[in-house]
Formats: sequence, structure tokens, C-alpha cells
Amino acid sequence: MRWGMVIDLRKCVGCQTCTVACHEENALPPGIFWRHVVDVEVGEYPDVRRTFLPMGCQHCAEPPCVPVCPTGASQQRKDGIVFVQYDMCIGCGYCAIACPYRARHMVQDHTWYFGEATPSEKQAHEPERYGVMTKCTFCKHRVDKAPAGATPGVDPEYTPVCVSSCIANAMHFGDLDDPQSNVSTLRDQHQPGVLLEELGLKPSLFYITE
Amino acid sequence: MAVARKVPTYCYQCVAGPDLLNVVVEDGVAVKVEPNFGVKEHPAGGRPCVRAYSLVQKLYNPNRVKTPMKRTNPRKGKDQDPGWVPISWDEALDTLAGKLRAIREAGFVDENGYPKLAVTFGAGGTAPAYLGGFPAFMSAWGGPLDQGIGSGQGMKCVHSEHLYGEFWHRAFTVAPDMPHNTYVLSFGNNGDVSGGVIGIWRHAEARGRGATWIQFEPHMSVTAATAAEWVPIRPKTDAAVLYAIMHVTLREHEWRRVCDVDFLSRMTNAPYLVGPNGYYMRDPSSKKPLVWDEKRGMAVPFDEGDGDGFALDGEHPVSGIEVGPDEEIITHDRVAARPSLQLLHDFLAPYTPEWAQTIADVPAETIRRVARDFLAHARVGATVDVEGVTLPLRPVAILLGKSINNGWGGYECCWARTVMAALVGALEVPGGILGTTIRLNRPSSNRMESVRPGPDGFMAQPLNPTSKDKWQARPTSRSAHKTLVPLVSDGSWSGALSPAQLPWLFMEDAPSKWPEPTPPEVWIVGRSNPAISNWDTDLVISKLKKFPFVAAFAYTQDETNWFADVLLPDATDLEAYQLFRVGATKYVESYWDHQGVALRQPVIDELPYDTRDLTDVGTELARRLGLLERYNEALNRGVALGVPLRAGEYDVSLEPAKAHTSSEIWDRACRAATLSLSNGRDEHDLAWFQQHGTYLVPFSRLNWYLHPEMVKKGLRYELPYQEQLKRIGGELKNRLHEQDIRWWDTQLEEYQALPPWKDFPRIWEKVAERFGKKPDDYGLWLLTSRSMQYSWGSQASLPLMADIARHVRGHFGVMLNNTYAKSLGIADGDEIWVESPIGKQKGTAILRAGCRPDVTVAIGQFGHWATPVASDLDMPNLNMLEPMDLSLIDATGSGSDLIRVKVYKA
Repeated sequence: MRWGMVIDLRKCVGCQTCTVACHEENALPPGIFWRHVVDVEVGEYPDVRRTFLPMGCQHCAEPPCVPVCPTGASQQRKDGIVFVQYDMCIGCGYCAIACPYRARHMVQDHTWYFGEATPSEKQAHEPERYGVMTKCTFCKHRVDKAPAGATPGVDPEYTPVCVSSCIANAMHFGDLDDPQSNVSTLRDQHQPGVLLEELGLKPSLFYITE
Repeated sequence: MAVARKVPTYCYQCVAGPDLLNVVVEDGVAVKVEPNFGVKEHPAGGRPCVRAYSLVQKLYNPNRVKTPMKRTNPRKGKDQDPGWVPISWDEALDTLAGKLRAIREAGFVDENGYPKLAVTFGAGGTAPAYLGGFPAFMSAWGGPLDQGIGSGQGMKCVHSEHLYGEFWHRAFTVAPDMPHNTYVLSFGNNGDVSGGVIGIWRHAEARGRGATWIQFEPHMSVTAATAAEWVPIRPKTDAAVLYAIMHVTLREHEWRRVCDVDFLSRMTNAPYLVGPNGYYMRDPSSKKPLVWDEKRGMAVPFDEGDGDGFALDGEHPVSGIEVGPDEEIITHDRVAARPSLQLLHDFLAPYTPEWAQTIADVPAETIRRVARDFLAHARVGATVDVEGVTLPLRPVAILLGKSINNGWGGYECCWARTVMAALVGALEVPGGILGTTIRLNRPSSNRMESVRPGPDGFMAQPLNPTSKDKWQARPTSRSAHKTLVPLVSDGSWSGALSPAQLPWLFMEDAPSKWPEPTPPEVWIVGRSNPAISNWDTDLVISKLKKFPFVAAFAYTQDETNWFADVLLPDATDLEAYQLFRVGATKYVESYWDHQGVALRQPVIDELPYDTRDLTDVGTELARRLGLLERYNEALNRGVALGVPLRAGEYDVSLEPAKAHTSSEIWDRACRAATLSLSNGRDEHDLAWFQQHGTYLVPFSRLNWYLHPEMVKKGLRYELPYQEQLKRIGGELKNRLHEQDIRWWDTQLEEYQALPPWKDFPRIWEKVAERFGKKPDDYGLWLLTSRSMQYSWGSQASLPLMADIARHVRGHFGVMLNNTYAKSLGIADGDEIWVESPIGKQKGTAILRAGCRPDVTVAIGQFGHWATPVASDLDMPNLNMLEPMDLSLIDATGSGSDLIRVKVYKA
């Protein structure tokens, strides 16, 4: 099993609903986004293309962030999810430098949107995440909760929140190793590409462009 | 381990909702928003958009007005601190009730004929979803109440579409039938920002299956980005391209091959004969419009036959009468008369693609190509089965954006768009353009039932009278909707849809022969910030200072309630009860296969601040004023609740003499709504809704389309020829001139049966001259564009949304074409001035390739100076640069959000 995503760039409208849903689901501090949608404009007037590119950890099959970690905090699960074991992380930042997708984020100090924590910020924030490296977890806390009979990527409760919140149905999550899965079917239909393929990191995020 | 529960509710921070959601509450604290996946019937999978995720921050925002406050500084001004001091709810309500009682005792109307009480709520139709039972208090008030003091409506909405769309096809808002559509020509319709979650979901699905969307727009918006093609059109020239598309259709193609001749013959006024004075030729005795029956070689009334064999072209010798304004009869004996379609054909002769190219900067070949593709995609003759009924399938639509759809040129664009739909039969049929909402006709919840036979074979429309005996010569509202705008009718929405900037403008400078608008004795304002959202905000502020008593339902301190006398802390989205209609067909692109109701409710037991449910405020005011019985009877009739509490089959009405709590009132609404929707099968109370959130029953897809109802009732659309508008315009002109009022003459020119192109850009170019400046000094257009992150809902006061919006191009600055900017020595990130003839605003330059060189764009509405958080944002506001000027207001009372400016480095 290897979890992955297929993202249909023809559908994405760059609304950042996934961005804010992730931010809230994971109780992230101000200015920290484990994933967001990049608003890209290329060309010269009037021949211009503007594209919305959802970006986050690519959960590479060959993640460069894992071997550089001096403590073993940066890890990869058998199902492909790359994550940080916070209590092992010393915040050295090697993994952030190694990641070509800029998908790792570190916060040293507690910050709040209004200076002081609101009741919701107090309730939801996770103190263990300060001074250590953080990143997208593919919402493993949701995926791992799936009971027998439920399928992450099909049942929204057990799907990464960016996918289940998408209002353009542009993002899909599933098992890349299962030829019958939703993501495998989309890969067969559209032959989506990956970002920085030349680096050979085998990302788990695939992008449909045409 | 935290104890978590999910509370279902809705977000209606824009009219595309309500969007259904769950709020996750842990240990009594709301922590996050989630989609409501349990509502499988929702066309977008129960998902809300980006703004809904701010609701938790909105709830706990420490900058909120936390308790009622009163002003202690009697002087009002931008530079005058109000000197707020906290007071109790009792004192606040007693103060307001005392002012209202004084009005009731002294008379509802002032010496100039205007209501002493005025209310201004919300924007874009969102207010009713948050007002709770308060509208029942307004109903119980018992006297005139002015709703025409504007908060930007008419300039910030698709106003022409609202009025003309509802007039032509019960389409207060127009949507493409995206589930069937394959080809959209969009003129500035930024539907991937403003279309709501259902619209965005359906657009994306359509793109996924290969549908084509062509976006004509001066800058590359989000929707232009997702479109198959972006055509950078010159601002305010959309009508020229639309006219050229009509020209290509009727004059460059064999029109009988590409148009839906059957639809034109049977469903429109295309065969109606028009006489030499521009009015229908009519049968002298019945006054019915005549058509030319080619089989019999004679003119017959339009309802003799089903359209088969009615001439659509040519010129025919006809005897009969024309009926002009004020029932003027013009008799003809064998005069040459032409069918409406022939007149349209002749009218379009000069509007070639080459002509449009010079005006709109759109290549003629592009215009011909999109016209050809539109006609090919229209598939005239195709049908589709909808729930066992065979309907025409015409999967093409033309959509219009906000500034195309209001102000000068709005009528012409709406007319051309709707005529193009009629030419190929793509009006109110699968795949074509649909109306989703009605606001001027009744019943507002059912478009089909609103279809009633009217004169000349068309639908009836409740127009404000223009006849000599019935016209309202002396305005009874400050926006004069009954006097100046026949199309806006006189229903509960008419005040808010009226020329709502006129009160501000006329308080500054009343025109001749007109009763000077007075400040209302009491103004109640809520969920609205007119001191930011109107044009010429300095003018608005100068008038606001003179309002003697303002009570504001307040979320935070803002630029309008800065001038208030009493602040009543507003219960936010997650703090109060309201049952609201979902599903069926609603604003924007919200049309479902189900209909029902959803509950908004307090999601936590202990609210963070001393706010109060607006239903309870309405009840308390009614009690204090001795209006409880009238208030409760209004609720029993369904006012504010959306469903009567007493109907033939059920009675869950409120005891009239008692003051009921909000939860008691909404409990009755829950019961009535479920009994009504289920025809008595189900009765669910408030507790059921608190747990389940939503109640839905099936809604036939046949109700998406007006076509079957029009066929059943034998009615036609008054298209393409606008005889009725021409006549009422003539009557209105007579009435105003009888009063020696000439300042509305330019607006009267809009009432034309076939509206010719006018040099619309020139209207804005001339603004500089009115302020003693040279037009050539203002060589750029300043436009606005919608922000999904920031539109409505007090998002500007939430730092979370600033954090999110910075990922979307164009926020926190002014967009400029990169090449043009470089020619001025402006680099990305430079501070620049944007200057119009009335003022200047500083902002950060955001350089883009996706912007015409003659255009600059400022997103949304900002420029706050009192609202916490918002006043720290570096976001210039077009409103402060746009004069509130009669020359920029069209016949429906609306204006377009654009102005000529110059930019230079700060």
C-alpha cells in the first residue's frame, strides 16, 4: 500500500479552501501552512497562462528529508506517509534544506492571531509542535482512524482534509498500489505528471494538466 | 482526552449559500469547521467554501463589540471618538424603543414626506438569513419604513440582470444549466469566485468532461484562468461584442438554419408586427398584437394559431392601431409593418465584427469564431429527457459579470445576452440560461407559480404604475423607487433594489422640483458598512454625521457604526437560531434535486460575549412598543420564518399576546416547515433540527426550467422587441416632464425597444470634465474584482483571512500590467498613487502580465479606518475614488464599479 494523491489542475480554482481547512484541522499557527495553492502566472500579455498549483509535502517514495535527519525523527511509514516524530526532533533544519518542495515548517515561538490566544486556539493548539520541524502528515490521524469497511479517499471522514474539503472536486486520495483504486484509475486515464521528476524522488502527488 | 461533538449549521456569508457545515466543539469550545458530508443531497458534497472556515475565529474575535454601548460624545465625525461606554441591554433597548415610540406618537412621515424610520441591512440578499425574527418587527411597525438608504447595492450587484432578468424570464439571477451545458461565453462573470460551492463544483465537472468556457475580461481573473480562452476586452465595451455576435448570427449565417425558428415563432414576440411609431400593430377592437399569417396572407391576433406560419421577416401591409404612452391610439390603414425579428435583423446591420473590433479591441475573427462555436454547440433541434419529459436541449449560455451587468450598458448587455439565448431557444431549457431566484414577483419561493398571464401574451409583472392617475409623483422613500423605476416594483425587496445611492447624493444636493431627502429620525443599520461600501465615502460620511439617531447591530467597531448612538452587539453566525430555506432553485448557481430547510443555531452553550439573538431583540422591541400581537401575527403569517405557522393542514401558531423566546419561535418554524414540506407526514421540532441540521424532500428537476410552465400557460417571452419598456419609458417621461423634472432625462433614454450601441466608455471619460479636470490625464481604467476570501461576512476583520488571501494574486495592492508599469518606472512592490478626478489612494503595485495595459485592478472593498485588523490592511478601495454622480447612474438606479484614473510612483 502506498497512499498518494491525484490533483486535477483543470479543476482547481485556487480558492484556498484546502489551505484553510488544513490550517484549522491541524491547528496551525499564524503564517504556517502545511499546504497551500500557488497562484502561477506565466507568459507576456496577451499570451498569458494562470494556473493554480496545490503544493505541500509530496510524500516521496525516496524522501530526501529522511536520510539527512541526524536523530531519525524524520520518518517514512510503510504506507508511504512521511512524518516527523516530534519528540525525537531537535529542530536542526537539515530536512528543510533537503526538501526541494519547501514543504517543511518550523515555529519557535507561540504566536496567536490576536496577540493573545482565543479560546479555540487555546483548546486546539499542540504544544509539542514548537521548536521542531512540522509538515503535512497526509492527515494520518484521519486516515488511521478508518474502521474496517471504510476507505480513506472514498469516505471523507478518513481522507486528508484538503481532499475532502475541496469544492472543485480537484483532489483525490487513495492507494497508488491498488490498481482498482480511484487514484490508480485517474492515473490510467490521464497520465498525470509529478513535480521535479528529474530529481528521481518518486513523489506521491500526481498532477493532471490536460 | 477532549470530548468532541459536531453541531450542524449553515454559512450564508454570500448569497450562493446556505452552505451546510458542522462545527466541531471540544469541551464546550468551538475549534473548527468541517463540511457536512451527511447531506448527500447537496450538489457539492456538503462542502462550504473558504470563508466558512473563518467562523470560529469570527465567534471568538476579541475585537468584537462585547456588550451594548452608548455614545457619550455628542459630536459626530471621523475625527470624533464616539466615547463608547457599556450599558445594559435593557438600557439599550429602552433607548431605541423610546425613539421609535416618539415616531409612532408624532407620525411616521416627516415634513418632506419621507419615513422617519429607516433600516439598512446586509448586502446581496444575505441579510434575511441572519435577521432572525426581526423582519416581523418591521412588519409590525405599522407605518412606512425606508429601506432605500444604500449600502452599495446597485453598484455592487448585478442590478440590470436583477430587474430585466426578472422582467423577461423570472431571473433575478441568471445561471447556466451547467449539468447540461457545453459552451459558455462569459463577459466578466467571475463564476469561479462568485458562483458558490455548487457553481464552482459544476464548472469544474464541466471542464473535466471537456466543456468550453471563453472569458472576455480586461484582466485575467480566477475564472479567466480556468477558462479555455481569455479574451482581454476593453472595459465597458461588452455590448459591442455581444451586438456583433448577434449580427453574425442573423446576418452572416443563414439564420433559419442556425436559429430555433420554432422557439422564436411560438415562445417570443419575434412574429409580432411593429408599426411605424415603434409600437405593436394591434387589432382595433381587442387591442391584441397582430402577427402576419403567411398561410392566409393576412394579419391576425397573435393568439390565433400556435405560431406555425407566422412571418418572422419581411414587410407586410397591415391595418390596425398602435398604442403609445398614456393609451395614445394611432390608427393605420394598410401601413407597412415588420415582424420584431425583422426589425432586429435590420437594427443589427451596422454592428459588424469589424465595427466591434475597433471599439472593444477584440479581433473580428475571434468574434466570428465564438459566434460560430456558440451556434454549433446550441444544437438547435436536440432534445433531452428530464424525468420522463422531453425538453429542448440547448447547451449554450452567455454570462455577464457585475460591472457588465449594472450601470450604463447593463441594459444593452442583458438584452443582447437574453436575445441570443432566445434566438437559439436556449432560454429556460436544459443547457441554456436559467433564472434561479425571483424577488419582485410572488410567491418568491416558487418561480413556476409566479408565472401568471399578463398583457399581450407575456407574463404579468408588477410594475410601478406610470399612468397619469396612478403614478406616485411625490416619492415616499428617499430612493424614490416607486417614482423613478417602474421595473423595481413595490414589494419587500424593492426599497433595497432601488436607486439606493440617491439618498446620499440628494442629501448633498437635492435636484430641482424634488422634496429634499431628510436624514431619518432613527436609522437602524446592521451587517452592513455603507461608509465603506458606497462610492464617494467622504460624501456618505458627511451625511452620516447629521443622522440624529443611529442604532447599529454591531460586530466590531466599523466605519459606519462609528457614527452610531447605540451599539447592539450582533450575535454572529454561530450564536443564534434561524431556519432557512435550502435547495430548490436559489441565487447564483444553487439549484438542487431537493428542497428543504436548514437550521442555524448556537454551537456552544456559553456565548463568549453579551450578544443577543436578533429574534429576541425583535420580540423585545415589539413588547416595549405594545406591538406584540401584530408581531406574533406577522410571525404566524410566516414573515421572517419563511413558512406560515398556520396553514390549512396544520396550526402551530404562536399565542399572540405573549413574548416568546427565540427558541420557542424557531421551534414552531421547524414544525411548520417540516409539516409543510412533507404535506403533513413529518413534524420535526427544534431539538430534532439541532441534532440533524437539515430536512430535505425531493425537488423535481423540471422546476429548474420555466419552459414547460410557459408552454402549459401558452405564454411568450417579451423578446427581442421591448415594446412595453418603450411605452412605460414614454409615460414616465411624460410624468416627470409634467412636474418640470428634467434631471432624469438621460436615464429615460434607456427605455428603447431595440437599444442602439452608445459610447459607454465615453461616459466615464467625461467624468473628469465634470470636476474641472482633463480626461486625457486619466488614461487608465480602475476596476474591481471579487475576492472569494473577503467578500461579505466581516471577513476583513479576521486575520485568518488575511493569512489565507495572501496566497491569491491581487490581494494587498493594486494590479497593473507589467510592461505598462515598467514604462512608468514602477516595479513590483513599489508604493504607487492611484488618482481619480476626486481623490487618490496609495497602494502597493502588483505587476502582472494578465492585465490589459490600460487597466488597473483593486480587489474588493477596503480602505477601513475604524475596523480593527481591516484598518491595518494595505488595500486601496475604488469606492473612495468614484464620485456619486447622477451621470453615472442608469435608468434602473445602478452604476458600474469603474473609474478613469492615473497612477504614479509614490
